[in-house]
Amino acid sequence: MGAPDITLQPLTKDTRPVPATVQERRAAWLLTAPALSLMVLILLLPVVVAAILSFTDYALGNDTFRWVGWKNYSHLFTRRTYEKMFLATFTYVVTVVPISVGLGLGAALLINSLGRFREIYKTIYFLPVMATLLAMSIAWEFMLHPSIGMINRTLELGCGTLFEAIPLIREGCADRFPVWLGDKRYAIWVISFIGIWQGFGFNMVLYLAGLTSVHRELYNAAEMDGAKSAWEQFRLVTWPALGPTTVFVVTISCIRAFQVFDTIEAFWPQGGGPNKSTYVMMFAIFEKGVQQNLIGIGSAITMLFLVFVMLLTIVQCWLVERKVHY
Amino acid sequence: MTRSLFKHLILILGAIVVIAPFYMMVSYSFKSPGEIDRGEGGFFGRQEMMIDERCVKLRDPDRRDIALAADRFSGQSDDQIRQALIQEAEADCSMRPVVFNYTKAFTEAPLLRYLLNGVIVTGSIFLIQVIVALPAAYALAKLKFWGREAAFGLVLFCLLIPVHAIALPLYILLAKLGLTNTYAALVVPWTISVFGIFLMRQFFMTVPDDLIDAARMDGMQELSIVWRVMLPTAIPALLAFAIFSVVAHWNDYFWPRIVVTGNRDLFTPPLGLREFKGDGDGSFFGPMMATATVIVTPLIFAFLIAQRRFIEGITLSGMK
Repeated sequence: MGAPDITLQPLTKDTRPVPATVQERRAAWLLTAPALSLMVLILLLPVVVAAILSFTDYALGNDTFRWVGWKNYSHLFTRRTYEKMFLATFTYVVTVVPISVGLGLGAALLINSLGRFREIYKTIYFLPVMATLLAMSIAWEFMLHPSIGMINRTLELGCGTLFEAIPLIREGCADRFPVWLGDKRYAIWVISFIGIWQGFGFNMVLYLAGLTSVHRELYNAAEMDGAKSAWEQFRLVTWPALGPTTVFVVTISCIRAFQVFDTIEAFWPQGGGPNKSTYVMMFAIFEKGVQQNLIGIGSAITMLFLVFVMLLTIVQCWLVERKVHY
Repeated sequence: MTRSLFKHLILILGAIVVIAPFYMMVSYSFKSPGEIDRGEGGFFGRQEMMIDERCVKLRDPDRRDIALAADRFSGQSDDQIRQALIQEAEADCSMRPVVFNYTKAFTEAPLLRYLLNGVIVTGSIFLIQVIVALPAAYALAKLKFWGREAAFGLVLFCLLIPVHAIALPLYILLAKLGLTNTYAALVVPWTISVFGIFLMRQFFMTVPDDLIDAARMDGMQELSIVWRVMLPTAIPALLAFAIFSVVAHWNDYFWPRIVVTGNRDLFTPPLGLREFKGDGDGSFFGPMMATATVIVTPLIFAFLIAQRRFIEGITLSGMK
């Protein structure tokens, strides 16, 4: 096949448009076929499968299954466990996204305004993004250890000093310090803290990239218009210029926050935390679908999860579109 | 002046919080169990000789050992020989805490195997992603064909689907094919990187058509244009994508956790660490942190060497 084509090539050169398109079309389909079929098999087919299974009581190993209608979904919205699941997931997302975006922006602005040592801060803040989250979760678990952990040891240092004015330290000194991961009042906040710790460096880097595209002249212009203070300049120039970056950073942070799993599985392999206070959706899919083989309910959670992620992305697209029309 | 000092102060405080767990992880990997318990010894620990209790217990002399050693300790009672043997064992089993922690990390669990698995899995994922994505990206960027818009639309739609989110149906399909607990299960769901296609397509759009026309006139087939003309021009973008892909899959825990159950030979580094944690007791904090350090180090090290490229690669998804 290859050899004749090569010898024919000079002949077809003059009349290129017509034969080339036929050839081009065939080549194009050959080149895209593997990618397209894998997309259908690995990404689209599973969505369809999950959609179908979410209406059944299928379990791996069973030959047959029954249709159960909307039962799986109605369980999700009526049972106490799933109420906790939504609560944990949304608490996490609503905490982690704004704070990690805010800290990312703050760090970027601070670093950008500095002359020296910028690179060092950038490197340090980016470290958690690179590190294996599971390994770092275990490190955090030791830090949070109630008796020998670094955190409670550091808090103990505050005993007998002015820091005792802080309620947490006062109570800790009088009685004992929090057990953090074992306490349902703290668990979800600790998880959120680690999520923020891990993610804000990523947002910082995106904002730093965004800041390089803000033109110097805009600041000069704003100053001439009377925006002298740093805050005014930020409000009038930097923030609007960073609009598209912010939309993107928020969306990607949301999608990542929805997928939190590693820390929770590392801290509480069974059950999703004290009193299920950290029973997030990814963990629920894993526990129900994979461990307990309740495929129907797992698929229903999967479908809800996909709906959330798609909605988020659509909102993002809508926001970006709106910006374009300005 | 004071202003920038204040800024530095805030940033340094932030840096301390960010570094704290790394500091603790590396520090614990140096210390003896006692030092970890009591929280002393600074960063490196005192590195006093310590005795590995388990190793001594394993060499606990029984009757046969004592009989065999009778020649060496002639004229002593069995009890004395026993004591002498225990002392010998203790001498052989004593070592510096840092040596203890890191040898335990590699001997308690087949850590080298886990690391090798990590390399195999991330390597094959990246290779297949490139083999699948590059031709498709080229076709979508440079060839005119009926259905191109639809194909690209499909790519954009698939960008919306996070693979982790559809893990359950993927797991069921793989289980039905009997592929769970194989390398294939670890690799297959990631073979298609829609993001890679999108990225490379955007990059190929900027390659001048003349380059491709010239190659066609030289009689090159489309497929060889992809590998011999387009690939070399795409090296920088490909490198950034490589970093993006390798970091994501070296660190991934969720997917391996689902499809690999029990078969240690297939464990990726995070799974190995997880198992280590599962059956470790209090005295194993040191070795566990040594394992964690070993797993985290390769990427951090590479990152420190080629920072700019890494930040570029990881934040690729943020570029317009």
